[in-house]
Amino acid sequence: MSRYIVGRVGQALLVLWIAFTASFLLLQALPGDAILIKFQNPELGLGPEQIAALRDAYGVDSPLWQQYLQALGNFLTGNFGYSVVGSVPVSHELLTNLPATARLASLGFTLAVLIALGLAFLSTLAPLAWLRTAIQSIPSLFVSLPVFWLGIMLIQIFSFRLKWISVINPGEFEGLILPVITLAIPISAPLAQILIRNIDEVSTQPFVAVARAKGASPSWVLWRHVVKNALLPTLTIAGILFGELLAGAVITETVFGLNGIGGLTERSVRFQDTSVIQAIVVFSALSFVAVNLIVDLLYPVFDPRLRRLKGAPA
Amino acid sequence: MISIRRRTLGALAALLLAGTIISPSFAQDAPVQGGTLIYLEQQAHTNLYPPAGGFYPNGGVLNQITDKLTYQNPQTLEIEPWLAESWEVNDTATEYTFKLRPGITFSDGTPLDAKAVAVNYDTFGLGNKELKYPVSEVINNYDHAEVVDDLTFKFHFKHPSPGFLQGTAVIGSGIVSPATLALPYDELGDATKIVGSGPFVVESETLGKELNLKVREDYNWGPLKFEHQGRAYLDGIKYLITPEDSVRIGGLLSGQADIIRQIQAYDEPQVNDAGFEIFAPNTRGVNNSIAFRPDNPLVADLKVRQALTLATNRQEIVDTLFSANYPVATSVISQHAAGYVDESAKLVFDQDKAKALFAEAGWTPGADGILEKAGQKLDLTVYVSLPQPQNEGVLQLVAQQWAQVGVKLNVLAGDAGSRTLDQLDPLKTPVTVAMVGRADPDVIKSGFYPKNRDWLLQKGGSSDKVQTFVDDKLNGLLEGLASETDRAKRLAIAGEIQGYVLDQAYIIPFFEEPQAFATAPYVHGLGFEAVGRPSFYNVWLTR
Repeated sequence: MSRYIVGRVGQALLVLWIAFTASFLLLQALPGDAILIKFQNPELGLGPEQIAALRDAYGVDSPLWQQYLQALGNFLTGNFGYSVVGSVPVSHELLTNLPATARLASLGFTLAVLIALGLAFLSTLAPLAWLRTAIQSIPSLFVSLPVFWLGIMLIQIFSFRLKWISVINPGEFEGLILPVITLAIPISAPLAQILIRNIDEVSTQPFVAVARAKGASPSWVLWRHVVKNALLPTLTIAGILFGELLAGAVITETVFGLNGIGGLTERSVRFQDTSVIQAIVVFSALSFVAVNLIVDLLYPVFDPRLRRLKGAPA
Repeated sequence: MISIRRRTLGALAALLLAGTIISPSFAQDAPVQGGTLIYLEQQAHTNLYPPAGGFYPNGGVLNQITDKLTYQNPQTLEIEPWLAESWEVNDTATEYTFKLRPGITFSDGTPLDAKAVAVNYDTFGLGNKELKYPVSEVINNYDHAEVVDDLTFKFHFKHPSPGFLQGTAVIGSGIVSPATLALPYDELGDATKIVGSGPFVVESETLGKELNLKVREDYNWGPLKFEHQGRAYLDGIKYLITPEDSVRIGGLLSGQADIIRQIQAYDEPQVNDAGFEIFAPNTRGVNNSIAFRPDNPLVADLKVRQALTLATNRQEIVDTLFSANYPVATSVISQHAAGYVDESAKLVFDQDKAKALFAEAGWTPGADGILEKAGQKLDLTVYVSLPQPQNEGVLQLVAQQWAQVGVKLNVLAGDAGSRTLDQLDPLKTPVTVAMVGRADPDVIKSGFYPKNRDWLLQKGGSSDKVQTFVDDKLNGLLEGLASETDRAKRLAIAGEIQGYVLDQAYIIPFFEEPQAFATAPYVHGLGFEAVGRPSFYNVWLTR
């Protein structure tokens, strides 16, 4: 097991280095650069000589390999440099925005899982056929809701009309309610769809028929026998959905005026703020790798067959 | 009369019915101290180095936490004392001597004295390569500052700099503590590091989301001619970054916020209908316009530029997209700007005349209706300018108007990098969006001079892609504008430039650009400096 983990960590480091290098090269390939975009901006009203002097001071015209080695060296020593747009150290930006996004994303994901489970159970256990069909069509509705529109609608209804929840200057918990719902609904849809389909599939398996024949109630069968087996593919999808979660966070954060990695990414990409983008790319790769590693490690917990296979040769 | 009486009686009856007797109150006239103002801003501030105050979100913060040497009265545009109680200018406008008011301190307790001001202006005027500070756009020909005594200092200039006095009053000339300017430029996006002498002090900040200012209790050096002296009425200001237009307006109308910046013209009616007030202070500079790059052969011919001007229906732009707060431009600069001359006769809309001019210049409609000359189509490109209100809508409308006379205008959004690079290439961008706010005739030079913004892209200016285009006459006039010390002569030059630029059809001014704010009915005393940045010093609340 420990050998497996070491291997996976090595793999992760490789992924990180590739992500860093690829993002560096891609950013260099884009027309212009952050310094040009910032100082050529008419709002500063700088003349050509002044801009040239600043470019020189920032060293943005030095050879590519030199810039790469310097960036990599800085990264390895934990110096992420400065955000050109925000004019603060990148570490400051990350420290402000990471926890906010982590909270929004984890709460959003938790709620998405709850909604998906709720929909899956209801669609299996609902007493009437037409009701089951209706519930099964909810995920298709959810997945087609644009996050942007959903956020604005929730704000308009619950904050501006009903005045139940404040979105301007809210309390810490209050401020999370609507964004978490906005983020969770579209994410819950694919989870629910997969779960419903897997439950249907597993339900046709012989062991389920046996359990029923033994006289187990439908909810007992579902909970003890079906769900456990239906969860595995869902877990895989959950790992992949993590990426989507970050993408949804960009829009949610903009609509609700929250700070977070989403908004920071959007701004940094818009202004080609290289050092910030690189830090975000490496961070995202890191969390993606970590989440998928956790998912892999969770498989044996849910499926004893995998546990036995891994344990046997050692 | 009758209706008023009836209403009064009705109100009295309502009061009696409610069982309360309210004595006539004059609370409306006497400012009340206290309260925190909730201000919804569209964008987060970036770098708070004072000369970066041209960016509205930056200026909106800097204007509360820093003071300037002088104050420009937004009504009269006269320069009045602020931190400096008096000043003298020599005849050639190469030496400015200022005397500070005594007892002024920065919020960290250090004195705001001649030495501190010298550090500020040496940085603004010369930049600082080591710490990466750029120079300030408003300070021309700066040489150095000389400290005479604790409260007296003298600025020396290499050449006459008559616009400098006004330059000491602009948003980009706020004085900060020398300790702030000892930090690298790259760290000044952190508002908590900006130490000024203003009526408010930065209390805390969540980058990109929220900024809290608190009142400075011992503040006692507002502009000398203000009736209100001493501390600000508000206890604090909370800036909340709210990028979504509908959320800002909904937040204001639902009572969750007190003031918002940036209301599009199409949202004005719902704000007015709800009894909220809209402020649209004029930015008093070069109007919202498009400028041509004559180095591009397609627009090198004066007749073509004149024809395009004639083909532009500016009234339609304002009627379709804007409101009464956006008056149609009548010259290069705003009618509220110093040196303004009405040139509306040169800006008429006449499609027939436009077509005739194109024909005279040798352009004839091709098979697809687009004008052609020697196998080349009159196909132009312009990039949308994001800070300008509804700029994409404006440009699309111009594209439709030009299409009616056979000219194709491509309106591009583009990524920031491509936009910045293409803007430097006259072949890629024969047309560019132009606008700059500043209440001094120097603003015209800021826009056109090759060593400044260089809208027309002249050879030897900001771009090395320019082949030949230079306008020595224009540059000579601009240099004269920046150095003429006699005010009347200077304004005459400003007038001459407006006429010349329009005669050459270098620029098509659309409308006078305001900065639009809306406030809740209980917000009083909101003021604006000369180019539309809000000042909260006199604001008080009756919530």
